[in-house]
Order: sequence, then C-alpha cells, then structure tokens
Amino acid sequence: MDKKILVALLFLALPSLALADSQWVLEKSTLTYLVSHPLHQSEGVSHAARGKGVCHAGQCDFLIAVPVKSFDSGDSNRDLHMLQVTRGAEFPMVIVRTRIAESERTSATILVDLDIEFAGQTAHYKQVQLQLVTQGNETRISGTIPATLSDFKIEPPSLLTIPVKNDIPVRMEMVWHPM
Amino acid sequence: MEVYSRIVVLSLCLLMAPLPLLAQASNNSPAVAPQNQTTASPSQNKPAEQLPNAPSSTTSAPSLTDLGFPPEATQSNAKEQALLDKRTHMLKVHQRMGLITTIPMMAAIFSSAGAAGKGSDPTGRDLHLALGAVAGDLYFITAYYAIRAPKPPGTETRGPIRFHKAMAWIHGPGMILTPILGAMAYDQKNNGEKVHGIASAHVPVAIVTAGAFGAALLSVSVKF
Repeated sequence: MDKKILVALLFLALPSLALADSQWVLEKSTLTYLVSHPLHQSEGVSHAARGKGVCHAGQCDFLIAVPVKSFDSGDSNRDLHMLQVTRGAEFPMVIVRTRIAESERTSATILVDLDIEFAGQTAHYKQVQLQLVTQGNETRISGTIPATLSDFKIEPPSLLTIPVKNDIPVRMEMVWHPM
Repeated sequence: MEVYSRIVVLSLCLLMAPLPLLAQASNNSPAVAPQNQTTASPSQNKPAEQLPNAPSSTTSAPSLTDLGFPPEATQSNAKEQALLDKRTHMLKVHQRMGLITTIPMMAAIFSSAGAAGKGSDPTGRDLHLALGAVAGDLYFITAYYAIRAPKPPGTETRGPIRFHKAMAWIHGPGMILTPILGAMAYDQKNNGEKVHGIASAHVPVAIVTAGAFGAALLSVSVKF
C-alpha cells in the first residue's frame, strides 16, 4: 500500500516539476535598424541590449532593453540626429516586452506579440516571426521587427529636403541561456 | 490507513493547484492591434544595482531594474534633449543655407567668363562681383550655423562628417582669399591693366574653393 501511494505521489508531482520556475538571460545581441533615403541607405547597430526572461506556470515573460544612444551608424552626426528625432535623451531606452509559451522553446519558428516602448510611445506588433536555434545550453533567436517611424510618432528626418522612408525594420540576433 | 488516505487527498489538492494557473496563463496571450496607443512618460527608474545574472527574488515579469543598466543610462535628461534640439535646428539651417549658397556660387563661376578675357566688359565684371559677394555673404551665414551648433560633450566625430569638416579648412580660407584676389583683379582690369601678380591666383583659388565646397556637400549627401 505504501508503494502505491508513493508512486501515485510521484505521478502527481510531475506537473509541478514541469511548471518549475526558470529564468533566462540575454548573453549576446546584435540589433540593427535600417533607414532608407533615395540617396542612400544606412544601418545603425547596437550590441548593448540586455534582457531577461522569467518562466512561470508554462509562460515566459521576456524583457529586452537597449539604450537609444548605443546605436552606431558609423557617422556621429547621423547618430546625434537620430538621438534628437527619437527624443533619445528624454526617453533613453528602447524596451521590448513579450510573452512566450515555455513549450515553444523547441520550435524552429515562433510567432510572438511584441510591445515596444520607444520615443515615448508604445507600439504593439502582432505575430512577429522569430527563428529559434537551440544548441546545447543556448538558444539563438533571430527575426525582424517591421517597425515604422509613424508607429512611434517620429517625424521622418530629411536630407537635402527629401525625407527618409517610413519603414525602419529592426533586425534582431540574440543568444539566450538559462540562468 | 486513514492517515494515508488523508495524505493522498492533501497531496492531490496541493499538486493540482498549479494546473488552473497554467490554463489561465495560456488564455492570457496578448491580442492587441499593431498600432501605437500609449504614450510613455520619461523613465525615472530607481537606481539599478542588480546584475542581469543575479537571480530575481520574485517570479513576476522582469523589470528594467533587473537588467542592471547604470541609472544615468535609463534616466531622462531634458537638458541634453534641449541641446540636441538646438543642434538639429542649427544644422538644418546650415544645410538649407549651404544649398542656397550653391546657387550664387555656381552663377559666379559661370559669370566669370564675362568678367575676364578678351570679350569682358565692366558690366560682366560687376555682375560677377555681385554674384561673388552674395555667395560670400551666404557662405559665412552657413558657416556660422555649423560653427555655433552645440555638440554634446564627449562626442567623438566619426564617419563622412570628418571629411565634410576637413573640407572647411580648404573652402573656408578660400572664401576669404577669393574675394580679396578678385577685388585686386577687378581694380587692375578697370585700370586697363592685364591681371598680374598675386591677383592672377584669383581663378585657381576660386576653382579649388568651389571644388572643396562641392565635395563637402556631396560627402554628407551621397554614400561613397
């Protein structure tokens, strides 16, 4: 009888073990925005993002933040202008929040809803496709956020009186590992 | 035996408790339209001392303070924003004035044919002088807005703007020398003399100046 009870307890304990809390940390990242102008295109790159994921009850809440001024386009004048138009001194961080089901960790492609706080505005992006590659203890996540200037009420900067395009896609390359 | 039954019932209750939570969480996926709805206020986060690798004391969603950014990196700086706004305004005026300056500058170059040589006359010289004077005035207004534009402390100059600034060391002195040499050449011509001495450098100095000005303009407009 004792053995039966122990086996029963063991089986009943399994769901609880599966739902055990876990945490993730962003180890490396490359975020790249693309700005297009009829005369040329430019990219700004940042490796300064930090992130954390907390999993609880089968759901993982992720937070990624990056300082606006950490983006480097290779031209200090352009970077300062970008900082001004995005009100980067007043709102110094880009903050991304998302929730992913823990079971999706093993999927090669996932669709996530993102909340992005930038330039004093919060934009919601539904069903953004991300690619996941898990190697050993680390998970590589990549994807592109279809951001636009108007999503964040940013006036398009102009060069020679011609404004840049509204689309500013942001490419993400991230490496996460459990804590 | 009765004790065992109670233990089993109690265990069942405790172990089944997380399941409704899981069901609830799976129904909580965000379903908001892809449009910006909210306006954030400038972040005034508490000083973050935690490192990103430090385990969180709670299981709630992570916050910005969990990421370990230095406080100055996450705090709003209205003074710096005002400085950036002023800088952008001044550089926009600089850019616009620079483009406007190219018009009388080009006109002065084309009118130079009527100001010198065999077919030249006083009217052609006066027109060239007037266009050169307008170009010079606009040029120095353009330069003022670039020189006086504030720059955040500690900013390192990188990229094509370095070439743009380097060109100013050529076209700046050029825009001072060209009208001086032009005035000398103008006097010599009006006195019926052939342009001679240092005044004969007016044309080559003007060409180098206009070339450096054009290169400076292109360096920030077109990606090479």
